[in-house]
Amino acid sequence: MPAAQPPKSSLRLSGGVFTLSILRLADLSPEALADELAAQGTALQLLQGAPLVLDLGECPSSTPLPFAELLSVLRAQGCVPIGVRNANATQATAAAAHGLPQLRGREESTPAAAPPPVAPAAGGVLQQGLRSGQRHYARGGDLVCLGAVNAGAEVLADGHIHVYGPLRGRALAGVQGDETAYIFCQRLEAELVAIAGVYINLDAEHPLWGKAAQVSLEGEHLHIIALAK
Amino acid sequence: MAQTVVVTSGKGGVGKTTTSAAFASGLAQRGYRTVVIDFDVGLRNLDLVMGCERRVVYDFINVIHGEARLQQALIRDKMLENLYILPTSQTRDKDALTTEGVAAVMQELQQEFDYVVCDSPAGIESGALRALYHADAAIVVTNPEVSSVRDSDRILGILAARSKRAEEGAEPIREHLLLTRYSPKRVQGGEMLSLDDVQELLRIPLLGVIPESEVILQASNQGIPAIHMRGSDVAQAYDDVVARFLGEERPLRFIQAEKSGFFKRLFGG
Repeated sequence: MPAAQPPKSSLRLSGGVFTLSILRLADLSPEALADELAAQGTALQLLQGAPLVLDLGECPSSTPLPFAELLSVLRAQGCVPIGVRNANATQATAAAAHGLPQLRGREESTPAAAPPPVAPAAGGVLQQGLRSGQRHYARGGDLVCLGAVNAGAEVLADGHIHVYGPLRGRALAGVQGDETAYIFCQRLEAELVAIAGVYINLDAEHPLWGKAAQVSLEGEHLHIIALAK
Repeated sequence: MAQTVVVTSGKGGVGKTTTSAAFASGLAQRGYRTVVIDFDVGLRNLDLVMGCERRVVYDFINVIHGEARLQQALIRDKMLENLYILPTSQTRDKDALTTEGVAAVMQELQQEFDYVVCDSPAGIESGALRALYHADAAIVVTNPEVSSVRDSDRILGILAARSKRAEEGAEPIREHLLLTRYSPKRVQGGEMLSLDDVQELLRIPLLGVIPESEVILQASNQGIPAIHMRGSDVAQAYDDVVARFLGEERPLRFIQAEKSGFFKRLFGG
């Protein structure tokens, strides 16, 4: 039993696996980096205070990097660089001088291998219903489903959701945070409906069960009313 | 070219193997050269239901691994001369079914037979996926209860997305609903989903309804496909299923609760 062994030292060394954000630095001057970061706007907020690994794989190996300036730009933006990777010997030494160790991370996705950005499809029409286990997301728009959404299926949309068959599965409208999104259905038998992250589970006790209904978000609550005839 | 029919369900214990045996026998009775394959590697059952378990020497997996020729593994049915059984292995697991190996065996069977009936294992893992991959038609076996219906719904989604026909963008698999273990009395009592409920949920054409019956148990214990149980409602129902599959119009039977007559009520059924 571990409890039986008296601790020999108050220090304990153990391993851990962490998920870290990676920032790829291309050939950038500290000034250009500051501009680029400022241009990121809200995306940068996600990096506030988060540990960051600098990927130097795309930096030209010949010119020495102005580490001191780059780091001060990053820290000024609230980033916390903790290491580098894909650095060559000179870069690694320079980084180490600033307290940044070289990290070996798995090369999972290089920007070249990343799938080409898909043209944003503004919503869509599902001619066929969805069966249990199937999922459909209408990115950037409304979703119209002509058939049934069966129990165990899931429809999601950035905008409104219209279901003309029975809605028995889950419907999540305004998934990117649009609080004005609606869900309309001809037969409300859903397991769950959600708008902008506010959800409610439904069951057969609901007064509009099996009826045509619309769901909207009013303040912090979902509002379910009969679909006006 | 043969037609490949998968008998599948998602859920276990709903009657896939019973149906595979009866359906393949029905096709063979009508003169079609038919083979029925057991895809449930490791839980070999079809040979028991077909009553040929003592004649299994080589199996599907041996053929896939090149340890036996297809002709050595095929077992001729004891009742019908144009029906063959391709049993599976009891000692291996589903990983033994390789995509290429199954494809090669299926291709060879296509040349020899009119119908290839694939008895799928339960679940949605590799064994079930291999069984449905080559299908031209599917019989989705469903019991009148919610979990079975939901699993059938799931497998219908997979049929539409993961089959060879789906991958090649060919015409989709023909889907047929077969409702088994149907007890009109219990439907009336509200204990079971009704035929209408199930059709409303799954929305695919109905191939038939097999009533709940003790005859099924007797048949599988004796190793006789249920379609051979003369005079039983189950045999008639399976006969209807085969006829409808081949395009005949047959009225639905065994979906009404028997009205117990005065004397039956008085003296007990």
